[in-house]
Amino acid sequence: MMIENVWLVPLLPLAASLVILFGGREREDSPMPFVGIAAMAASLYISLAVIFDAATGAAALPFEKEWLWYSFAANLGGQPSIFEMRAGVLIDGAAAVMLGVVCLVSLLVQIYSLGYMHGDRKFKRYFAYISFFTASMLGLVVSNNLIVVFACWELVGVSSYLLIGFWFEKEAPPYAAKKAFITTKLGDLGFFLALLLIFTYAGSYNLVRLKETVEMGYLPPMVLTLIGLGLLCGAAGKSAQAPLFIWLPDAMEGPTPVSALIHAATMVAAGIYLVARCYFFFLASPIAMETVAWAGLITAFLAGSMALVPYDIKRVLAFSTVSQLGFMMCALGVGGYTAGLFHLTTHAFFKALLFLGAGSVIHAVHTNDMRSMGGLSKRMPWTFLTMTVGCLALAGIPPFAGFFSKDQILEKVFEHSPVMFAVLVFTACLTAFYTFRMLFLTFWGDGRDHHRVDHAEESGAVMTVPLMILAALSLVSGWALEHGHAFASFVGSGGAAGHAAEAAGHAAAAGHAINPMVLAAGVTAGACFFIALAYSLYAGRDFSRAQRLKSLFQPVFDLLEKRYGFDAFFLGLVDLADRIAVLCRWVDIEVIDKVFVDGWGLLCRVAAEISHLFDALFVDQAVDGCGYVSRDIAGRGLRSLIARGQVQEYMLYLAVGVSLFAILK
Amino acid sequence: MTLAHYIALGAVLFVIGIFGALTRRSVIGILMSIELMFNAANINLAAFNRYLHPEGVAGQAFALFIMTVAAAEVVVGLALVLAIYRNWDKTYMENINLLKG
Repeated sequence: MMIENVWLVPLLPLAASLVILFGGREREDSPMPFVGIAAMAASLYISLAVIFDAATGAAALPFEKEWLWYSFAANLGGQPSIFEMRAGVLIDGAAAVMLGVVCLVSLLVQIYSLGYMHGDRKFKRYFAYISFFTASMLGLVVSNNLIVVFACWELVGVSSYLLIGFWFEKEAPPYAAKKAFITTKLGDLGFFLALLLIFTYAGSYNLVRLKETVEMGYLPPMVLTLIGLGLLCGAAGKSAQAPLFIWLPDAMEGPTPVSALIHAATMVAAGIYLVARCYFFFLASPIAMETVAWAGLITAFLAGSMALVPYDIKRVLAFSTVSQLGFMMCALGVGGYTAGLFHLTTHAFFKALLFLGAGSVIHAVHTNDMRSMGGLSKRMPWTFLTMTVGCLALAGIPPFAGFFSKDQILEKVFEHSPVMFAVLVFTACLTAFYTFRMLFLTFWGDGRDHHRVDHAEESGAVMTVPLMILAALSLVSGWALEHGHAFASFVGSGGAAGHAAEAAGHAAAAGHAINPMVLAAGVTAGACFFIALAYSLYAGRDFSRAQRLKSLFQPVFDLLEKRYGFDAFFLGLVDLADRIAVLCRWVDIEVIDKVFVDGWGLLCRVAAEISHLFDALFVDQAVDGCGYVSRDIAGRGLRSLIARGQVQEYMLYLAVGVSLFAILK
Repeated sequence: MTLAHYIALGAVLFVIGIFGALTRRSVIGILMSIELMFNAANINLAAFNRYLHPEGVAGQAFALFIMTVAAAEVVVGLALVLAIYRNWDKTYMENINLLKG
């Protein structure tokens, strides 16, 4: 039974990354990447076997298997006992799906990278990092122990740091890497506080036990809310939710396949997955749920609007990822457990596709700037075709994958709150607009930079084949998984929490559910309208209308280009911290050093001088005095009296002494 | 004649030797007094051997050794006395006070 071996899934890529890192010599044609690809393929095989077993009922979900990690004697409530920390794997429907998605996307990205990173000086190291990145994410997915989850969570952060800053010899990547790392750390703080609270109140990190504890109602509501908010804080950092999304657009500085991996499977999915994994905490706290929903909503809208203006092809995609993550978060927040995870899955496919496609374009024209592109559809037909599929999926046009998952989310949100629904529908329309703006600017019209465009060539098969696989998945995954509620029943099989939530959601929304057909038709029509709008503005050779529109809404454009001032806000925060640091340094040097340290030193010196004076005046003089008395007074006197050099006198003393001894015995 | 007589003779000779060594001004006299003390000790050794262990001869043998050593010592002593005389032209003890501290 393959599910028994599921613990191998994260360990294989980990082993591969170590082998790649330490084995072999760094060469441009190093064969080491194939180790990583082989390990990934093995992991994918195990994951798919697990999904297959679970889907056919051969394996029962949730599956838990754990080992003793460490134990120590503890004193619980006055009773001595042995505390045992166990770690292991917990596979429920969501975890199984995530395993499949992560392994598949990572495998395709690695194959694609063979072409994309070809000739890079750090070819081997890149694959070591990417295997490690995947291993950390897989560890996060399978683990049943929140501490291990947290460790993997941080490892994901570290490896994203390494990969975003992969070209560290350039100026921007190290900065972006630091930004990503520090921003996510800000969120991790909340996660960590939540972990402390969890252990304080529940005394365990085992997810199954925690779920029981929470569902029994052992934890006070206030604590549950705090835990939920802490977990959300961590998830917001990793999954780039407002206001911590600022790192994601900059993370584009890494190699493009890494962006694909970060955006589709490994990094940003971690936050959503964490919320889904710890869903029972949120279910128990309405405030936390509502916060999740609003955080997602705000993020979806802000990022969706910010994606309208950039000219950097990857940046558009980055903002769209943030926006889609907002959709998922919002879905989770309104109780759409399966809807959120469904969107996570389909989004992984088409966002990986879009990023890899963008990578293919960048590889061909050597720039990210869409103003230098245009007319690439003839030169790169496969990239164009697959990216069109990705765009249609992202825009939510039936029958592509994004349509089904987005539809489910909107349905859930409508049941929850019509206001949120309206904002999300508008955002969905914006999605269609910016996605096709990007597509038209890149592939339609004439080449605007002839020097670049005329030399563009279609990428090799090693890059286009993964694109085609992902395009096929983007095309069918939505329909296939939606068919007969396959996804919902599968994911629900391991997480009864999702079912309970959805049942509750249904009960609450019995009054105002929306007709799915009307919703689908309406949203599709809206999306089509915005695609047409994008077409009229950006598809031709003449951008004067777009220019006019831009000058008409110049303040709005400026606001969007400044990213609503979030970057400025955080830079201000950093600046403030800088100033505080300068102040602290001043206090340190001028006050603490000068007054306390130097003052103490001065005091000690003065005391030492006094002590020295006393020493010299009294102690030394006394010592010298003793010597003087014994040598110069007593000694000299006695010498002149007794030791006169007369041997006979000495002999007399000797004779007297011996006689005395003889007499006195 | 008993052991006491011999010991008494030895004691008298020793005291005379000490007295001489402490009081004579001349170095030669002091050396002679020291010889007297050696012989007092020799009388004691011979007498004790004769009266306490008449079967052995260790005491007598020891006395012979002491005479030999004394002769050797006199050689060294007289050589020193000669050296002193050559340097200072006199052999009176009160003038020889190099050991003064």
